[in-house]
Amino acid sequence: MAYSDKVIEHFEHSRNVGTLDKNDPNVGTGLVGAPACGDVMRLQLKISDDGVIQDAKFKTFGCGSAIASSSLVTEWVKGKSMDDAMKITNKDIALELSLPPVKIHCSVLAEDAIKAAIEDFRAKRAARNGGSAETTPAATREA
Amino acid sequence: MTHFDLFNLPPSVDLDVKALEDLHRKLSLESHPDRLASGADARARRLAAEKSASLNEAIKVLKDPVRRAFYVLELKGVKLDTEQAAAKLKMPLEFLEEIMERREALEAAKAGRKLEAAQSMGKEIHAALTQSLSLAQDALRKDDVAKASLALGRVRYYARFLEEVDAFEEELSS
Repeated sequence: MAYSDKVIEHFEHSRNVGTLDKNDPNVGTGLVGAPACGDVMRLQLKISDDGVIQDAKFKTFGCGSAIASSSLVTEWVKGKSMDDAMKITNKDIALELSLPPVKIHCSVLAEDAIKAAIEDFRAKRAARNGGSAETTPAATREA
Repeated sequence: MTHFDLFNLPPSVDLDVKALEDLHRKLSLESHPDRLASGADARARRLAAEKSASLNEAIKVLKDPVRRAFYVLELKGVKLDTEQAAAKLKMPLEFLEEIMERREALEAAKAGRKLEAAQSMGKEIHAALTQSLSLAQDALRKDDVAKASLALGRVRYYARFLEEVDAFEEELSS
């Protein structure tokens, strides 16, 4: 099957391959897999306290389309607010990369990875906030 | 008509492969297009050729325990190869983390051209695959489709890993 020029470009010169510290409270990690082919994709976003995506890294074990989809979204999300990043759909990705129908699931994977990473960040933040809310009454009781 | 129907067998993960192969040989001979009378018309020839092709496809699927398990699951309504079924199947996060770590370790072994390290990872994954396959077979015997889907999902990831090990072995030996 022939890959589009944009897929080849992102595959051969992948942007933002790597990892961010998953224990950093400002880093959200999205890990998704495709049981139809057995491939895995990890997308990590560094998000500022006011909700802007400052950095993005990915690691994908999969076909050219899966790698290109994840590489593309790391470029797209940087500088975006979380809410805007959540609006990226697999259709946007598939259109940009001219993915054929059999490779649409690669773009779905990339969309899911963004959402999973943002959800992970939100869950971390909620846990942090929840954590401090819990310590306050305890501290009050102590006093 | 299912692959099992062609051999007049009940759909099951448990199958005597030797007996299946004998049966396949017998049926293939019977339906071989060359065995048709010289006066046979085009339609009879086409039907014989089709029968022959379906028998060959069926045996490929049925004699391989992994493909057979996926096929039995498919007959129970879940075709894991389709996007829809795959999308519905949520693998546990810890499992995906484990796969990610192992794929990274394999990648490092490949980069360092460490064949033995890759092969030993392959052995571990192969054992894990066998175990998951046996869980899947058990679930299919009990008609537990959800459990079978999850176990075969694991099998798919493990099989993908093993393909990578094979590709690396080939790369080094060529």
